[in-house]
Amino acid sequence: MKKTILVSCLLFVYVILWAENPNDQKYLLTTNVNSFGFSTIDMTDPYLSPTNYSGIGLNYTHENRRFLKLENTTFSMQNKLGFASGLMLNPTGNSALTYLGVNYGWGINYHFRLEKGIRILAGGLWDIDLGFKDMARNINNPVNVDLSTNLNLTGLLQYDIPTHRRTMRLEMALQTPIIGCMYVPLGGASYYDMFELGSFTNAIHASTLFNKRGLVQTYAISIPFNQVVWRFGLHLNNLIYKANNMVFTKNEYSLLIGTTFDAIHFGGRKKTAPLNFISTNE
Amino acid sequence: MKKYFNLFIFSVVLLSSCIDEPEMQPNTYKGNFEALWQIINTKYCYIDYKNINWDSIHTAYKSRVDTVSSNLRFFDLMGSMLNELKDGHVNLYSDFDKSRYWKWFTDYPDNFSSSLINSNRYLGDDYRMAGGFRYKTINNGTIGYMYYDDFSDSFSDANMAYILKSFSACKGLIIDVRNNGGGYLDLSEKLASYFFTEEKTTGYICYKTGSGHSDFSKPAAIKTPAHKTIQWQRLVVVLTNRMSFSATNSFVSRMKLAPKATIVGDKTGGGGGLPLSSELPNGWLVRFSAEPMYDAEMQHIEWGISPTVKVDMSATDEANGYDTIIEKAISLIK
Repeated sequence: MKKTILVSCLLFVYVILWAENPNDQKYLLTTNVNSFGFSTIDMTDPYLSPTNYSGIGLNYTHENRRFLKLENTTFSMQNKLGFASGLMLNPTGNSALTYLGVNYGWGINYHFRLEKGIRILAGGLWDIDLGFKDMARNINNPVNVDLSTNLNLTGLLQYDIPTHRRTMRLEMALQTPIIGCMYVPLGGASYYDMFELGSFTNAIHASTLFNKRGLVQTYAISIPFNQVVWRFGLHLNNLIYKANNMVFTKNEYSLLIGTTFDAIHFGGRKKTAPLNFISTNE
Repeated sequence: MKKYFNLFIFSVVLLSSCIDEPEMQPNTYKGNFEALWQIINTKYCYIDYKNINWDSIHTAYKSRVDTVSSNLRFFDLMGSMLNELKDGHVNLYSDFDKSRYWKWFTDYPDNFSSSLINSNRYLGDDYRMAGGFRYKTINNGTIGYMYYDDFSDSFSDANMAYILKSFSACKGLIIDVRNNGGGYLDLSEKLASYFFTEEKTTGYICYKTGSGHSDFSKPAAIKTPAHKTIQWQRLVVVLTNRMSFSATNSFVSRMKLAPKATIVGDKTGGGGGLPLSSELPNGWLVRFSAEPMYDAEMQHIEWGISPTVKVDMSATDEANGYDTIIEKAISLIK
């Protein structure tokens, strides 16, 4: 009798554990990429100065991507948040331009799986870009603000390279603005006119390929180590746009280092974690 | 598929010619001269108003650039070229000097003596200071006197509330802005607002919308609001001289329309163009008038604002320890 009870108990426990085995439940993982970049930047902002300024910068980008639905692994959703800073000097080195920028983007990509280990993701990304440029020695025009929103075409090629100990991944990502709108003040207007007197004439412009062209390129390799997948790469951001008879340029070349990892998100009432996932809130 | 690819490549090549970066002048004497001339030609706001033939100035100075052999000489030459604009808001800044045009006050009487206003008859030693103002009651405590020498020197409502409270027994107030070379426009608005009882349009401003000499925006109204809680509603006399310039000029333009204000002294020095700045290939900074300002009748204030009561300092008064302009203000308030 004792034996029967013991076997029944073990069987019961096994059944419970089996029922909660996460291998049988599918979850959507979110791929996260965090990158730090050290860059060289050159920038021309004719509102502040006709001269090209060049210097160094730092940037940080967080990017995540996951499929829209469990049942459909052809469309993924992407979020991007980036911060950039730069300190640049004019060619004679007697004037400085400080830059601080933030960029947020949200996009959808279609996954083409060409063959095992090769994927192409193509889609669109809507982004909003805000930047402050400060040229302290200027008089009444010491600051200019970059503010724009764009619909971008994006593409990503991933190529897995299996080796004896690990599978490395090569990536090439491209992004280019197609259409949007941007804030560019008139060269002759001061921020006193705009913010004290409310004169924003000709400050908002539609942007298309005819007056704004840009190409953001990222070339990276992800290498799995014991606990972390490290990512190394090169990031190139070239932008040129024209409004109010002024041509603005920004060229940034960054060396990237970062990590990439997959994570699963639990939260709210419907996305609660299974019992075998232990939270700090337990 | 190949057709679309070719179309894409063709579009990229076609579009790549749409945005041409402007050609920068080289960092040579000639290149810097051309850059400076072009900045003024396209951005300076008074070329037509002052009937300046900027093309002929180009011709006259271009030949002289060829003879220049040092940075110092080149700087002086460019400074001379800018002085043709007769504008105190036009300066060239290098690492070794700043060009300037000062004839707007050096060709006129000073109408100001700091030793006089610091004498015991006026400020003396026991004046008080708040937010850039030096103030004291004068004429046996019947008149408030405040001297303000810089519109970059900020002040708060609390400063002004204390100052005006200390003058509560006075019949009137004298605001001395002689030798005040300007500063922030918003401070000129703020100071004037204590003397208005309702918001008034006290001037207009335009900005350039293109590179033509007369490509201006529609005039935007410059309004002077009445301060919500602090209002001086007795007589106020504003003292001016030729060194009352730029933001001070703007303050005087506003105060001309204040209900109980009188402007006494000399014509202001002007400086009616809001300055902006740009840069030459050699890194020198150029400041220039970019936005013309007007009074409430749409008249330029670039050459100064005439006082309501024109008074010059008398040498005899000065020798006897009297400031003729302050004394006139006292007599108007009495």
